[in-house]
Amino acid sequence: MAFLELTNVRKSFGQVNAVESFDLKVERGELVSFLGPSGCGKTTTLRMIAGFEMPTDGSITINGADITYVPPNKRNVGMVFQSYALFPNMTVADNIGFGLKIAKKPSSEIKKRAEEMLALIHMPGLGNRYPYQLSGGQQQRVALARALAFSPQVLLLDEPLSALDAKIRVSLRGEIHSIQQKLGITTIYVTHDQEEALSMSDRVVVMNNGHIEQIGTPFEIYNFPKTEFVAQFVGTLNTLTAEVRDAADKRLVVDGQEIKSAHALDGAQVGEKVTVSIRPERISFYGEIQKVNTMNCTVENISFLGSIVRIQVRTGANVFYMDTFNNPFLELPKIGDKIQITFSAEAVLVLRQSA
Amino acid sequence: MNGLLAWLGVAPFFLFAILFLLWPSSSLIIGGFQDPAGNFTLKNIGDLFTPSIMNSYALSIQISAVTAIAGALFGFLLAYAAILGGLPRWIRTALMTLCGVASNFAGVPLAFAFIATLGRTGFLTALFVNVLGINIYNLGFNLYNFWGLALTYMYFQFPLMVLIMAPALDGLKREWREASENMGASSFQYWRYVALPILLPALLGAVILLFGNYFGAYATAYALTGGTLPLITIGIGQQIAGNVLYNPNLGYALALGMIVIMAVCIGGYTWLQSRTARWLR
Ligand SMILES: Nc1ncnc2c1ncn2[C@@H]1O[C@H](COP(=O)(O)OP(=O)(O)OP(=O)(O)O)[C@@H](O)[C@H]1O
Ligand SMILES: [Mg+2]
Repeated sequence: MAFLELTNVRKSFGQVNAVESFDLKVERGELVSFLGPSGCGKTTTLRMIAGFEMPTDGSITINGADITYVPPNKRNVGMVFQSYALFPNMTVADNIGFGLKIAKKPSSEIKKRAEEMLALIHMPGLGNRYPYQLSGGQQQRVALARALAFSPQVLLLDEPLSALDAKIRVSLRGEIHSIQQKLGITTIYVTHDQEEALSMSDRVVVMNNGHIEQIGTPFEIYNFPKTEFVAQFVGTLNTLTAEVRDAADKRLVVDGQEIKSAHALDGAQVGEKVTVSIRPERISFYGEIQKVNTMNCTVENISFLGSIVRIQVRTGANVFYMDTFNNPFLELPKIGDKIQITFSAEAVLVLRQSA
Repeated sequence: MNGLLAWLGVAPFFLFAILFLLWPSSSLIIGGFQDPAGNFTLKNIGDLFTPSIMNSYALSIQISAVTAIAGALFGFLLAYAAILGGLPRWIRTALMTLCGVASNFAGVPLAFAFIATLGRTGFLTALFVNVLGINIYNLGFNLYNFWGLALTYMYFQFPLMVLIMAPALDGLKREWREASENMGASSFQYWRYVALPILLPALLGAVILLFGNYFGAYATAYALTGGTLPLITIGIGQQIAGNVLYNPNLGYALALGMIVIMAVCIGGYTWLQSRTARWLR
């Protein structure tokens, strides 16, 4: 039995089905993130694990114990909120020690633990400050320390970084990850930021409209999306409309130009229209490298994104992107130029419509 | 140019404050130390310490304290029910509107309204007699004594409390409760360690405001008891405008005493505030 298990969990608010038949097994020490667009049910699922919402159906177990209907203050689950939610009337040390104080631990032990936690979040000596005297990033680190101080069985984080600015977000993301690794605590991390989910998770649960689209490692989710939704939502994705020429031989036609896919076409009919996807980074200029597929297209736009340059190209009705790494000697085409591009057959994914 | 406009903007306020606050108070202070002929004297101040005047102060403080604390308690509970009780939105809106109206209903009309409902021949009194066969006046109720006046005062005090506490209760974030539950706290512990300490500065401020509100009330008390309850405000009225007891200088001294009492209250409040609100920026 996995450490944290959600079995057939469902939640509806009146007419709204916020979460539908959610099944997940999380192993001890694993960091699993819930990734999905706004309103897909990430927070609701997390709140059911914390006990702030009761499932309409299904069960939740932690370490073998059924906690589906256990009140939140008896669950021993730590939670970090998007808005930090530090108690404004308490110092940093008192915030961190709150869980232990409630557990009636001796004050010497609480003090020691608060100091340990402050060291862990790289804020030693700031225990006497009040929350308003801290920056947003510091407040969120204190909230993390507070959620960990009473040694919960599971740590839950609901978009902990979304109220912070980009730079701090990236550094704090790394910090949360390394603390999680150090303590080996089973963690659920809710985010709508794919970069966050991909960079720190052992596994990612991609959610859409209250249900799970795919569960997999970041590598699997990114490289082998199972549904069109996952492919679209994770990473930048080109979708092209293609026509099947030969299903057995995996040959397709895009705007009159034939391409080959390495992936099965699952008994598609000749002439049937399908959606194929190709990641921008898998397309190159023909001439630098030559792959199985080549296409002629016209440059429509060029955007400089720092480490990469994204070139928008058109073939007939399809418009898509190719990415190329930036370097000072790069010779870029100009808008309106006719260029040849190339990509492998493996790069061409044929997508199912999502369920 | 901008600076000049800004000064022009605040000028009417300061003019108003000087004419109707500073000037009257200073003449009150001066008058408190003068005899009718205008000579300096300490007699008025000394007279404040006579037993009957001391009793008046004590009575005024008692009734203000009782009604402020009771008003604060009931007002807080009502505001809690309306804001955090999960009632439909319209109840809250209706309650706030009613409280806004009720907290401004004071003075002679209020006294009259209470006489008409709970007086010896009031509507409710009669209803109790006719329907339940109970005469509340035989049971010890009396609208024209301390408790009757306290009840009448409550009518505008506790809606005022609701109006003051509603925004403060709104300011309690749901995440604070959830975070505390998450760390194992019961509802009681959440109130004890988080919610009440956060609300305390607002609560204290509200109690002081209610206290001051009653302490200075005059018309309601006068209309209701006709001067049989020797409140300090009624005493001042008698000294300044009465025809039996007429000694404006003693009246000034009485008012001066009220100012001192309020100043002590506000001083105490400021001290408490600074202790309970260290965490406020
Ligand atoms: N208390 C509630 N009452 C009614 N509907 C709710 C409630 N809480 C959530 N919902 C609905 O449930 C659905 C899922 O909401 P949820 O907050 O879980 O989404 P989310 O994935 O966390 O989105 P976001 O990224 O915006 O935080 C939404 O349609 C939302 O409107
Ligand atoms: Mg959410």
